[in-house]
Amino acid sequence: MALRVLGLNLIKNNINLLQNACRINATSTTQAPYCNQVTVHAAPAAVQKQKVSKAMKAYLERARENDEFMKTQDLDFQIGKRHLANMMGADPETFTQQDIDDAISYLFPSGLFDKRARPAMKSPDEVFPARKAAEFDETGRPFHSMFYTGKPNFFQLLHDIVEETNKLYDLEERMLRRGNKPDENQKIEMAGFQMLPKDQLEVKLVETIADIEYSNFVSSMERLIASPFSYKSKNFIERYLKPLIDQSKQLEVPKPKIDEQGRQYITTYECLRKTARADVTVRMPGTGKININGKDISYFDVEQCREQLLFPLQFSGLLGKVDVEANVAGGGSSGQSGAIRWGIAMSLRSFVDQEMIESMRLAGLLTRDYRRRERKKFGQEGARRKYTWKKR
Amino acid sequence: MLKRALIYGKFRTNGIYGSFENGTRWSRLMSMYPPHYAEPIFKKDSQNMEKYELAKLSHVPIKAALNSSSDTIFNAELKQKMLAYIVKCGNSRLARELLTKTFEQIKRAQIERKHLVKQDNGHAICIDAEKLLIQAIENSRPLLQLSSIKRGGVKYQVPVPLTSKKSYFYAMKWILDAAKEKDRKISLSSKLAWEILDAAHGQGRVIKKKNDLHRLCENNRAYAHYRWS
Repeated sequence: MALRVLGLNLIKNNINLLQNACRINATSTTQAPYCNQVTVHAAPAAVQKQKVSKAMKAYLERARENDEFMKTQDLDFQIGKRHLANMMGADPETFTQQDIDDAISYLFPSGLFDKRARPAMKSPDEVFPARKAAEFDETGRPFHSMFYTGKPNFFQLLHDIVEETNKLYDLEERMLRRGNKPDENQKIEMAGFQMLPKDQLEVKLVETIADIEYSNFVSSMERLIASPFSYKSKNFIERYLKPLIDQSKQLEVPKPKIDEQGRQYITTYECLRKTARADVTVRMPGTGKININGKDISYFDVEQCREQLLFPLQFSGLLGKVDVEANVAGGGSSGQSGAIRWGIAMSLRSFVDQEMIESMRLAGLLTRDYRRRERKKFGQEGARRKYTWKKR
Repeated sequence: MLKRALIYGKFRTNGIYGSFENGTRWSRLMSMYPPHYAEPIFKKDSQNMEKYELAKLSHVPIKAALNSSSDTIFNAELKQKMLAYIVKCGNSRLARELLTKTFEQIKRAQIERKHLVKQDNGHAICIDAEKLLIQAIENSRPLLQLSSIKRGGVKYQVPVPLTSKKSYFYAMKWILDAAKEKDRKISLSSKLAWEILDAAHGQGRVIKKKNDLHRLCENNRAYAHYRWS
């Protein structure tokens, strides 16, 4: 009989129970350091004779139940996986999670929009979140000195951050005395990083934290990073940073095609704005002709809409150097011009350099404007406005 | 909260709930951008900033530029602001038309004036309507305002300095108010043109209003200390 007891603290402090620890579960090494799993054999007679507190007894019982539950779940998962592999005619031994996902989406095609609502088969370790480890020994004494704060892992983290900061302050003082300056080249770049979001920090700590506590974490981390020698504790800091996606390189720029007259052209389909739909073709050596549904720019009688069409062309300096053809339907004039503007800007990416693309992105030309008319709500005058308050 | 969750809005998803790119979920899905989107910088000149600022922005999604924004020399900031104050009931098309007509009339009047005066003096007369508008607004900006403060049961009119934003607001509001006080037969554009021309030359009702306010503040300057005591 194996007993699943959770907790790194156990290894450190409770030798009684851990004399019999035979092996650390293979999965535990990949998980966060706060929720390691330790497999322990049933307590020997020596331990059983010792006085065990009621809380510890209840905990051991719960841990055993959880362990058994996870075992059955894992068994079910393995069997299910084998069945699925056989159904798909694949080798069950080399059937990966990706194969499972593919098989499920093939066998149970779902029209549900939200991905979380679609049928899925995942390993029980993912489905059932990690439980917190035993925080006290069999006599009921807590292992952690910050147990009574209620959130020992979180406050330990704050403690660690302050310790690191103090270390850096000491270092700074010593370096100042010696006349050494911090290395500017090694400075930590925060541009591409973000502090670990609250929900991910919670998963990491296996504790729920309040908003104000999270802001405390952020401010103390910022103080640590602001130190001129912060690169000395880079390893510690990087554990609590999350890399951001580079927005400018996210979208792939299509290669222009060649038409019959030997001109380069790009067609952007599905240009949306409000309820207008358009597809826009931009041809490279051109004379600045604009063709919208067979008409020229006078298709729009409002000045602002015409200005919108020319905005990306003028911004990229290609006004008069390219021809634009657009088919547009639905919506009003401002929606149509907005749709065409987006289409032109997206197509122009193929004819300008990377710097200009980034510049256009900063100007907000490459973002699709997804905003729609907000519906009127009952009991209200409009989308947001309430009726005038009248006492009676 | 429940009421808010009931609101049907869409942003990349069809449901009431959706999620940001970083995985956090939001329930107020409406006709607006998620909070981490940055404002667009649609003027090319203002994009010349420090390298680290650009590096910061390269990881932030940007809001789409508005329909009214464009990188042209005709879109001065104050002109856009004035346009926004002219708008009634969201009819920005009409407001734009009115302002264009105003500019046309200013230009006509100035050209006429230019031809009336002698050749050598003609250079001094400005025909750029946009410049004149900005000049008019700058001329009619108030510096101080009276705000009533209660001290010992008595209300005192205390002169208080205005922030630049507020003073611009008052300048534009006064010009527009002056233009709206007119006969029904006269159009807003022509009256507005005259008010702008007057204010740009340091005369007219708006400038008088500003001077009156300044004089009142001057008279009440004995109470100025009530602002902080």
